[in-house]
Amino acid sequence: MKSFSFIFALLSLPFCIANTQDAVHKQLVELAVAGNGVIKLDPKSFDLITSPKRNWSAAIQLTALDKRRRCLPCNDFDPSFNAVAKAWATTSKKNRDNHFFATLDFDDGQVVFQKLGLTSAPVVQVYPAVEGPRAPANGKVAPIPYDFSSGYEASTLAEAMSRYTPVVIPYSDPIDWARYSTFAAGLLAFTVMLRFIAPILQSRWTWATISIGLSLIMTSGYMFVRIRGSPYAAQDGSWIAGGYQNQYGQEVSVIAFIYGLLAFAFLMLIMVIPYQMSPNRQRLQVYLWTGVIMIIYSILISIFRVKNRGYPFKLFL
Amino acid sequence: MLLFRSLLCAIGLAGVVYAKSSKGDSVLVVVEPKQQDNYSIFFNGLREQGYDITFRAPKAETPAVIEFDAPSFAHVILFAPDTKILAKDLTPQSVVDLLSHNTNVIVALSSKQTAISTLAAEFSLVLPPPGSPLMSYFPERTDPATVVPVPVPASHPMLTPNLPPVWFSGVPHSLGNNPLLVPILRAPSESFAAEIDGGSADALVDAAERGGEGLWAGSQLGLVTGFQTLNGARITWVGGVDIFSDEFANKEVVKGLKSGNEQFVRDISAWTFHESMVLRIDETTHHRVNSTTPLEQYTTNDQIVYEARISSYDPKTTTWVPYSGLKDLQLEFTMLDPHIRTALLPVKGQPGKYSVTFRAPDRHGVFKFVINYKRKGLTYLQSSTTVAVVPPRHDGYPRFLSAAWPYYTGAISTSIAFFLFSAIWLAADSRDQKKGKGHKSE
Amino acid sequence: MPEAYPLPSNLSSATVTNTASLLRIVTLALISGAAIASRLFAVINFESIIHEFDPWFNYRATRVLATKGFYEFWNWFDPTAWYPLGRVVGGTVYPGLMATSGVIYNLLHALNLPVDIRNVCVLLAPGFSALTAWATYMFTKEMKDPSAGLLAAAFIGIVPGYISRSVAGSYDNEAIAIFLLMFTFYCWIKALKQGSALFGTVAAVFYFYMVAAWGGYVFITNMIPLHALVLILMGRFSNRLYAAYSSWYAIGTLASMQVPFVGFQPVKTSEHMAALAVFGLLQIVAFAQLVRSHVSSQQFQKLLFIGVVAIGILGAAAFGIMTLKGWIAPWTGRFYSLWDTGYAKKYIPIIASVSEHQPTAWPSFFMDLQFLIFLFPAGVVVCFRQLRDEHLFVIIYAVMASYFAGVMVRLMLTLTPVVCVASAVALSTLLDTYIDPTEPEINDDTVSESGASTASAPAPGANGTSHPTTPKKTKKAVPPPQSTSALGQIIAASRSSNNKPRPKGIFGADTRLMVVFNAMCLLAFFVFHCTWVTSSAYSSPSVVLASTNPDGSQHIIDDFREAYYWLRQNTQEDSVVLSWWDYGYQIAGMADRPTLVDNNTWNNTHIATVGKVMASSEEVAYPILRKHDVQYILVIFGGLLGYSGDDINKFLWMVRIAQGIWPDEVQEPSFFTPRGEYKVDDQASPTMRNSMMYKMSYYRFAELFGGNAATDRVRQQQLPKVGPTLDYVDEAFTSENWIVRIYEVKKEDPLGRDHKSANAFSQGKKRKRTKPAQRRRAIL
Repeated sequence: MKSFSFIFALLSLPFCIANTQDAVHKQLVELAVAGNGVIKLDPKSFDLITSPKRNWSAAIQLTALDKRRRCLPCNDFDPSFNAVAKAWATTSKKNRDNHFFATLDFDDGQVVFQKLGLTSAPVVQVYPAVEGPRAPANGKVAPIPYDFSSGYEASTLAEAMSRYTPVVIPYSDPIDWARYSTFAAGLLAFTVMLRFIAPILQSRWTWATISIGLSLIMTSGYMFVRIRGSPYAAQDGSWIAGGYQNQYGQEVSVIAFIYGLLAFAFLMLIMVIPYQMSPNRQRLQVYLWTGVIMIIYSILISIFRVKNRGYPFKLFL
Repeated sequence: MLLFRSLLCAIGLAGVVYAKSSKGDSVLVVVEPKQQDNYSIFFNGLREQGYDITFRAPKAETPAVIEFDAPSFAHVILFAPDTKILAKDLTPQSVVDLLSHNTNVIVALSSKQTAISTLAAEFSLVLPPPGSPLMSYFPERTDPATVVPVPVPASHPMLTPNLPPVWFSGVPHSLGNNPLLVPILRAPSESFAAEIDGGSADALVDAAERGGEGLWAGSQLGLVTGFQTLNGARITWVGGVDIFSDEFANKEVVKGLKSGNEQFVRDISAWTFHESMVLRIDETTHHRVNSTTPLEQYTTNDQIVYEARISSYDPKTTTWVPYSGLKDLQLEFTMLDPHIRTALLPVKGQPGKYSVTFRAPDRHGVFKFVINYKRKGLTYLQSSTTVAVVPPRHDGYPRFLSAAWPYYTGAISTSIAFFLFSAIWLAADSRDQKKGKGHKSE
Repeated sequence: MPEAYPLPSNLSSATVTNTASLLRIVTLALISGAAIASRLFAVINFESIIHEFDPWFNYRATRVLATKGFYEFWNWFDPTAWYPLGRVVGGTVYPGLMATSGVIYNLLHALNLPVDIRNVCVLLAPGFSALTAWATYMFTKEMKDPSAGLLAAAFIGIVPGYISRSVAGSYDNEAIAIFLLMFTFYCWIKALKQGSALFGTVAAVFYFYMVAAWGGYVFITNMIPLHALVLILMGRFSNRLYAAYSSWYAIGTLASMQVPFVGFQPVKTSEHMAALAVFGLLQIVAFAQLVRSHVSSQQFQKLLFIGVVAIGILGAAAFGIMTLKGWIAPWTGRFYSLWDTGYAKKYIPIIASVSEHQPTAWPSFFMDLQFLIFLFPAGVVVCFRQLRDEHLFVIIYAVMASYFAGVMVRLMLTLTPVVCVASAVALSTLLDTYIDPTEPEINDDTVSESGASTASAPAPGANGTSHPTTPKKTKKAVPPPQSTSALGQIIAASRSSNNKPRPKGIFGADTRLMVVFNAMCLLAFFVFHCTWVTSSAYSSPSVVLASTNPDGSQHIIDDFREAYYWLRQNTQEDSVVLSWWDYGYQIAGMADRPTLVDNNTWNNTHIATVGKVMASSEEVAYPILRKHDVQYILVIFGGLLGYSGDDINKFLWMVRIAQGIWPDEVQEPSFFTPRGEYKVDDQASPTMRNSMMYKMSYYRFAELFGGNAATDRVRQQQLPKVGPTLDYVDEAFTSENWIVRIYEVKKEDPLGRDHKSANAFSQGKKRKRTKPAQRRRAIL
């Protein structure tokens, strides 16, 4: 008899599990709808959504949005996460209910943070389904952390998350109307102004300035700063980055200015002074600009010596 | 650079012509001197076959098995199952070392826990708990239950067909899933392994439960099992040393029928010492269809002929004779994965020659002709030849493409038009030039 | 007319010109000598050896060409590269370099000069640098005059920006490419000036040579069309332009398609579309000109406008459609990453991982070009002053090249020539002005008043873009040259000869002396700089490293060759060596062994496989190794010597590239400590510590320090006391300074066990008793 009841219990076990799971699932779906795509978690619901018998997958953002936590990345990243979740909420119901986006704030669930041994935020973990058709083939159900190395953009997040969702997340970057409108306005203004500014456009010296400016900026390492995203100056205010293969934003302007000044001095000597028809003024100018060249050049060298310690040469200073 | 490599089997390279074995005829027997005579029939049989046998006590240091990293005997027989610790050059490690030096070994086990029995695990043989030999109460007989008559499989490739049952006394072992194992003799289905005095069935079951291994019983247990290492050395595990003994050899199974022990042990020693079931690849060649010289590199979609000559060892004449008996030989043409896998069938009328013709894949790269023939008991046939398959040469492509007609026409028409234009232009230049032309034409 | 200093007057003009030309020739010869000599530091300091990585492949290919002949080279299938895929070398290489040195080699042998092919290869680059100097001279001569040309030649001869890629031994495509670049441009300018189809054809021929020599030919392919386009937009279309461009494009494109590696790209890929489009545009404009000669101007305006607009729209639409249809391949990653600079790091880590694809910081600009870098803007302005067609070319070139050089270090090479040309123009103008002895006579200061006052700011709208050779009627309305400012007048005076020139000149000798002396100082300093940079920075063959002993003497670190020769001497000829792709060419060249991957990174998956082997644990890696028949693994380890360019520092790239293919087997974050640091000490993450790369780098490293803590000199971190253990590979060789470590992959265990348990057994460890597979239960 005992054994019989036991067997009965055995038989009924899967059903009741299924029942509880269904209940939890329904609950989660409602929460998701309520939070328009994002489930706001607390420790209890966290355990529910990450239950070891889940037949759904979930992307959970563990963050600390409170001002007091002073987590700037969290606040940068949060909108992206919400945007992606929102985009996911627009998919068809049967897909939508198989994957959840949830967020847990540090202040709501410190225990969870301790349990997961998290010391930093934000963190996004994807919990793949354990049971059901969407359980991963390789059987790896451990939470997968999202790699932030590619930045906080929503698009990259959506791309990464789509690997775990039943269908690709239909996320698309919002159209930047402001940019387009300003661009269009500029274009319009340009066309209107065209007849007035035409002489300027047709003057070779406009183009000369433009091209010289361009090449000066480029040759003083603008692209380096741009690509490497190096700061304008160091925190301690020093504006020259140590090291030969490195530089700060401020160096670009300084070096470009020095180059420009030197080039200008040469131009004066070449193109202006010869037409100066008063000997004394001319002589004065010659001495002036030659002096400028010598001084500025030696300054340039001394700056370069800061960058490249091994450089053996120097001029006056 | 010559990309030609062939891993012929080591068999026969060390072949001594007058030995019965294809691997040399020096045998070391490790046995207690006083027990030495119990196996005289077996040893004399070996001597008659032309082996020279050296005896050595289990604890003795000399003669050394391996000297200067070279094995000093072609075969080793370990008949010291009860010795707890053998000499230091017969540790389990050194036995494995022997095998990797292509020395063949026959190991006898006993129900005692010895260093050798720990070695069995390396060959994925699992021994029953210590002190539990094989027992069987069937058939009804006067002998103790631990002396069991075991029926020999009627048709086993390495045994002489329908031998009478053999007497066995010793431990069984269960076989792991190692593909290199060659089961030779299985336990009778009604036999089991247990402590000698564990008489009652309940005691037996309790023991089994305690061990958590279930019953050591049934025909799945092995008694004599061969093992062939990847480098071709052979080792045979025998559950009990008595199977070789004179006593069992002369003992009758039923009235008037002598047991099969004598012939059986000779068969297994023949297999272990590379007398029977020994094959080798003499040579492999490959060439294009209707040519004979092997190339270092073939062009994609070539028709390639691959040939292999295989011979087997004949212990009677101690010679290698061509062998066409293999029906399931396969050739693989692989680059990372087999691009082609085809049957390599014997050629009619040319004994020992196997050949196949196939089209090289339409994929350039470094390919290998691979023969990898592993069958239980037989020596492994392995051969791998590397060749390059290259795309056609720049002038190997078709010169004229019908698909290119638009371009042909375009080019031709343009040049014709240009010619006409210049001709007309020159002609219509000026009057006197025309006159000059006219002048010439006259 | 007064003179600052007397000139000999009793010379016939013939004598002067003859002497001048003689001097020019002598100077050019000297410049060539200097250019070659300054590139021989590498040979003198070290030896006559091939440098770095790619040159080793070029050298190997050249040997094949020299020994087996051109056709064999063309059909060469290299089974030892990219094992087991092999590499069709003939179709995947720019043969120009090898062909060149092959020709030289055969020529010398025809002259019974038995020169070793290696020396030909080593000295090819210096030789061609002399030619480059000459080509630059010709080019600059077209810009200004021979004196400027000589300056430019001198600059390009010794400027580090070019030496960096052309020292003796750096036997790479760039060695000859720069000469071809300059000469093609020279021919183009010549063709444009004279409107000669002949020079256009010569340009096309050299363009073909360039295509056969260097992938950078795309720079020409877009530079010349851009120039033509700008000319058209400025209303400077002329039959000369038409003749030059058409002949260049037609012949050049057809010729370039003969190179197997290029094939049909010129008509299929976006990089080449600009040239095609401009070609079409030229035809249209030419046709328009034709029409104009028959229609009255008023209608013509309309017609032209409508026509051009319509054609433009049509063309754009066609291009778009074809791109969508996939008939035109989109931009290849390398070129695309030039514009969208974030692209490479995200999508093609292999390209991003190459050091010479990194952006350029300003010090390296200054290092490579020194005072030319601020002189060339002046030169560009001088070009603007008299805006002839060829000057436009220099201007465009300068702007584009300085952008590219900013994005990628290696493209500094394309910037260097134009910098030399422009600054030569500037400097020679300066010298012309200040050496010329004639002094103007003084007149009233009124004009110069304004001149001095407004001189500092170049006033816009000085005058239009009219030009002696432009057609009278251009699309743009040309305002009559009204000179509002002194500068305006100056330029007007300097450019157009029809209105009378304003008096110009320098008073006094001291001013002249001052300026000339200053210039000379600059030049002298430049020479010192170049010599120092060349000898110290650019002359080390990274195959052999040099360090200085305490006593200042040079100490040669020769681990690479030691290891490669060990492989060559001690391993089977066909044993496959696995290493990271940087060393593929060197292994093939020096050790002559098959490699899995090498420096022409054409198969991302194969490279990712190697990355996976290095990044994963032994058990995972072993089957892959066996499958690829790998017998030796070679890793570079700088921890003992402090050689920073070792594999542990490149490890993250391997991980990234492997992750690109197997995202769920290899994950970059798991190689960092929980705090997100890249560490090798005892805090290193378990994945890191179990990876093949880590194990093979630090295997038995701790023993070297005998008890006390082992420190990695590169990472500056303490290694754990107990080093890693290896089961599936054996240490085969470790070079003197541990820079190169070679491991042998074990064969399968004869008993069919996995190596871990086999090792455990041979070390006498008891294996736990396994239960029998098959059981029977008691039925009660």
